[in-house]
Amino acid sequence: MARKGVGIGAFDRSRLTSAHFASHGSNLRATNTEALSTQLSVFRSLLQQFAQTHAKDIRSDPAFRAQFARMCTAIGVDPLASSAGGGGSDGGGGGGLWAQLLGGSVNDFYFELAVRVVEVCSRTRGENGGLIGLRELTERVSRGRMEGSAAISEDDVRRAVGTLKPLGGGYAVLRVGRREYVRSVPRELGTDQAAVVEAAQVLGYVSVGMLRDNLGWEGARCRTVIDDLVSRGMLWVDKQTGGEWEYWSPSFMVDEDGSVVGD
Amino acid sequence: MASSTATPTEPFRFPREYYFPAFFTRQTNLTTHHAQLTKWSALVLAYARHHRIFRLSLSSAADSDLFYNRKLDRRLAPADIRELLDFMRKDGRAEDVSSSGGGGGGAGGGDVVFIHWRKPVEWARLIESYVEDTGQKGGVLTLYELAEGEGTRSTEIHGIDNEVLLKALNILVKRGKAQIFGQDDSQGVKFF
Repeated sequence: MARKGVGIGAFDRSRLTSAHFASHGSNLRATNTEALSTQLSVFRSLLQQFAQTHAKDIRSDPAFRAQFARMCTAIGVDPLASSAGGGGSDGGGGGGLWAQLLGGSVNDFYFELAVRVVEVCSRTRGENGGLIGLRELTERVSRGRMEGSAAISEDDVRRAVGTLKPLGGGYAVLRVGRREYVRSVPRELGTDQAAVVEAAQVLGYVSVGMLRDNLGWEGARCRTVIDDLVSRGMLWVDKQTGGEWEYWSPSFMVDEDGSVVGD
Repeated sequence: MASSTATPTEPFRFPREYYFPAFFTRQTNLTTHHAQLTKWSALVLAYARHHRIFRLSLSSAADSDLFYNRKLDRRLAPADIRELLDFMRKDGRAEDVSSSGGGGGGAGGGDVVFIHWRKPVEWARLIESYVEDTGQKGGVLTLYELAEGEGTRSTEIHGIDNEVLLKALNILVKRGKAQIFGQDDSQGVKFF
């Protein structure tokens, strides 16, 4: 190939070169892709072995389970994907990795947990309007279980709530201020509502005056948002303050460290 | 408040909601209010069960630690206490003490109620088991023996309110399992 060239010839040559490089590049890509998919399938079968060897640990140790789940997510495998269509070794979501690898027992674990989550949320909806602290929910869900059964972590509950999303009904995990909550009603919190819920985290309650002073809102706006949250069942009113009425978040019936408010 | 002779060994452990200031205000939201009534009902039953209280006098209960949390300075208002008892009546957990029933010398009328932390039908079951277990079927016992006798000392039946006992026994009578005779202070019951 002539090295130097000027004029039209040069263009032709560079086009040739580009084409050459392009085809070389796609060869390279093909080789790499093949290598990569080989690597992935090797990795996947290692993961499979790992899961089977450590199935017991995955079931019984929430921290270990969380790590494993995080790892699956990181490599693009959804541990909770249903294996209904399954059978295939491919399938972007991993096709129910948990179910396949662990014989359905971990899938059962999250399913049962989700059922319990729904039970607790239904039972407490009257007192909290469908907004419950993640910690409180985890504690309540753990309470009803038999001695010696696997410990439940907040991470487990988060994942279980995730499985409920497609069912409608509004199940979602949300973060407001410093805390995480599980919502079990379809109506989302507006910005003002969320601000009040966050404000209530400090002392357990809010008042019109407190919101006015701390958020700079007009009295009417404070009253509107408070009334809205009360009508949703998310705030309880205390009229015995001797001054302004105070509106309490029901999540303060369980204090942060589990101790009783007022002790 | 009338209570039995038995004294509990440990103090009553109040539930978390007892320390929640808003718990003592009648909630305006209907659903929240219902949840509130349910919790109060459970609290009253647990408190009565712990102290073995069979009858509640509204006027004295309003100032007791059941409805008045001194530390929080919050109390359930008398009107709200009445509403709570109406709620409990529907479940058969509260019952007016009729003036003809005697005993419990409160102001009469609506001031005193039975708190059925164990319903008469459940008491009937307990009594029936006790009678069977102690081989006293076919025998006769006085009401006093049942409520205060040595024989029942280690059982739940000991210290039972006299009228509640009568209610339970009348259930057994209706089932043909017992017969009550005598009157006033010396009533007896025969079990079949």
